[in-house]
Amino acid sequence: MTEAAEMMHVEVTRFDPDQDEVPKVQEYDIPIQSDWKVLDAINYIKDEVDSSLSHRWSCRMAVCGSCGMMVNGEPKLTCKTSLADYSGSIKIEPLANFPIVRDLVVDIDGFMDKFRQVKPWILRAKERAEDMEALNEKGTFSQSPAELGAFKQFSMCINCLLCYSACPVVANEPEFIGPAAIALGHRYNLDSRDEGARERNETFRGEGTVFSCSFANECSQVCPKNVDPAAAVNQAKLGAVIDWAKGLVLPREGA
Amino acid sequence: MKHLLLILEPVIWLLFGAGLALGTMLLTGFVLVVGLAIPMGIVPPEALNYERAYGLASSFIGRVILLALIALPLWKGAHHVRSLALDFGGAERDGAVGSLLYLAAAGVSVLGIIAVVGL
Repeated sequence: MTEAAEMMHVEVTRFDPDQDEVPKVQEYDIPIQSDWKVLDAINYIKDEVDSSLSHRWSCRMAVCGSCGMMVNGEPKLTCKTSLADYSGSIKIEPLANFPIVRDLVVDIDGFMDKFRQVKPWILRAKERAEDMEALNEKGTFSQSPAELGAFKQFSMCINCLLCYSACPVVANEPEFIGPAAIALGHRYNLDSRDEGARERNETFRGEGTVFSCSFANECSQVCPKNVDPAAAVNQAKLGAVIDWAKGLVLPREGA
Repeated sequence: MKHLLLILEPVIWLLFGAGLALGTMLLTGFVLVVGLAIPMGIVPPEALNYERAYGLASSFIGRVILLALIALPLWKGAHHVRSLALDFGGAERDGAVGSLLYLAAAGVSVLGIIAVVGL
């Protein structure tokens, strides 16, 4: 270190479920480097100042989706947010709209349950003989660049849950299935290999799913991967409505 | 109540979406013509004299457009106000508030149908 270190005042939410009734704020003054991300500051506190601080992180390159936190009240991936964007002091809290496990770590079990409801995997109507033949000949299902392009954007989600923290509907109705889960379900509905759209559309027409969205667009504003979950949710609304209308006039296969 | 609204949600959302799109475009066009183009003399005032306006409004297409202009923005408004009420008032009253708003929109829509048919 050649230059004199700049100092930063960091306010961090602390919560120990064994001792605390409610989360409290702890303040640290630490030296920072000009090229640090917010995560580097938290790691510095953990390594050099206070080893009792708990936070989640892994890849440091905006891929793993584990270091999402509220930075000055906004949901951010801390590994992708430069400290240089903030001057003097910064406030770091656990992601909003989730129960706190400890300090900056939140409980994402509720999200995982919502996630499973949209069946985020390729569903086939049934394994057909020709599927097996195609598999044997080509090795896999072929897909054109256009077919891939139809859903690729919505498949880039890293489940960082910033969108759930930003969503005003999640804040109001915690049972709302939420942006990332709907975007992922919609991603499989758009996949040319998938045949499960009907099942997912039935889920989407249930309580607390796509129609609970009031299109505030906050999810897309905070998404670090430009997935645009708000677009996915609103396309999913139309898809669910068209599927419903089709069900009125066309007999359901195998129903 | 809430359950009925959930079943009707696709219909309500379609009316809301149509109201959002059509209302925004048609009303903008209406304001442009009546509020700006005619007063500024871009369109001659005779373009909307009584006979012409009545002829347009009482044609089949005219009646459909009039009904869309009357009814669809009401559904859009009802849906928006329901969302607003949900944000402020919470989920318990959502069924009652939603039903009331949609009933109002449906009631005025029926009046709109009667008016347009009797034109």
